[in-house]
This record gives sequence, structure tokens and C-alpha cells, in this order.
Amino acid sequence: MNDMNPIMLRLAQAYVPFQTYVNRWDPTKGLMMGTIFPELYRPYYGRDRRRG
Amino acid sequence: MWIYEKKLQYPAKVGKTDLRMAKYLVTQYGGPDGELSAALRYLNQRYSMPTNVTKAILTDIGTEEMAHLEIIATLVYKLTKDASPEEMERAGLGGHYADHDNALYYVDATGNPWTATYIQAKGDPVADLHEDMAAEEKARATYQWLIDLTDDPDLIDTLNFLRVREIVHFQRFGEALDLVQEYQNSKHIF
Repeated sequence: MNDMNPIMLRLAQAYVPFQTYVNRWDPTKGLMMGTIFPELYRPYYGRDRRRG
Repeated sequence: MWIYEKKLQYPAKVGKTDLRMAKYLVTQYGGPDGELSAALRYLNQRYSMPTNVTKAILTDIGTEEMAHLEIIATLVYKLTKDASPEEMERAGLGGHYADHDNALYYVDATGNPWTATYIQAKGDPVADLHEDMAAEEKARATYQWLIDLTDDPDLIDTLNFLRVREIVHFQRFGEALDLVQEYQNSKHIF
């Protein structure tokens, strides 16, 4: 598990923070949203809004 | 081995026959950043991952990409199945009709056939996982451009689902990268 403390991070190496359990939606809602984890849900609203 | 479930991972509905959109959407079937490329890339790279956990992450995600390939196939087929040869020709799919009738084929949005040159297996797990993370971002962007190209709410709903899965996969590959880097540092492999 990576320590995201900048002092511990090595140069020239990529890191993604490890997901830790916070909460979840119920399974049906998780299926509809594409993920059961609210913190991983990033909806797309279309090109116009993306640029706005 | 796999156990097959005779249902789609997520519903694949479309509002109506739409050859224009089918021509674009097929890139997620046989295009460079599509689901076939993803599935074959991960299910092949898994063998040279250094730990059981990272092997399992690639196997799981590669398997899910096969389920996504089924969803894309269903969508493209529904968008094209009722079209006449004349309609296909007007939509720029006359060449597709000549070669494939209404069958599916692994091509990108401009008709180029799928090729193994879309994918790599370097054998270096850090290099391979960077490719995988980039592949998820490119697939996410492709889903966004496809969403921009249609106003069919049923199709957009399924594309939104598939797009979110790319984000989740990026997170899992990122965690796999952390695990590999930690493993290599602990083993002093460089």
C-alpha cells in the first residue's frame, strides 16, 4: 500500500492512491451507476459542459 | 476457464435503427481503444505479472472487457439489423454490406480491421500497467466522444455505464501498479 506522503514518494514513478472502504450504494444502484462506490462515480455531462 | 452467463452485464437498448451511429460505435468493438483490444491485451499480459494479486486484477478486468464486447456487439447489431442495402450504402456502409451483409466485424469507425499491433505485452509489468492505464483513459475518452455523437437516451445510458467502468478499471490498474512497484522495491529488482 503506497504512502502518499510526498517525502516517501520516489521520483519518476507514478502512483494512484489505494482505495479504502468508505461506504457503498446498494447493489442495484451500484449496477445502474457503473460502480458501487460513490467516490469512484464521475459522470460525463457532454462536450459543451466539459469545456464550460 | 470461464463460466458463461446467458445475459448481458448491463442492458443494451437502442431507440431505433441508426446506421450513422453504428458506424462510429463499432470502434469500441474492433478499434484501437475498443473492448476487443482491451480484453486481449489484459488476458495476455496477465501471465507475466509478478504477483498473484496483479495476475488476478488483469484476469478479472480482461474478463469484464469480454462482457463489454458483448454489450457493444448487441448495440451495434440492434442499430443495424433492420437496415436495407440501400440504407447502408447511403450511410457509407456499402463496403461493409458487400463484405459482411449485416454481420458484425472487428473494425474501427473508419473501417480499418482490428490488428494485434493495437496491443503490446512488454514483459515489464510497470510498462504493461502504464499501457493498461492509458488504454482505460483512451476508452473513457472514446465513450465521451460517442456520447457527444448521439441523442438516443437508451444508447447514452449504456455508454455512460461502460464509461464509468473505464474509470473503475483505471483505479484498479493504478493499485496494481502500486503493488508491483512495492514488490519490485522490496525485492530490489530494477
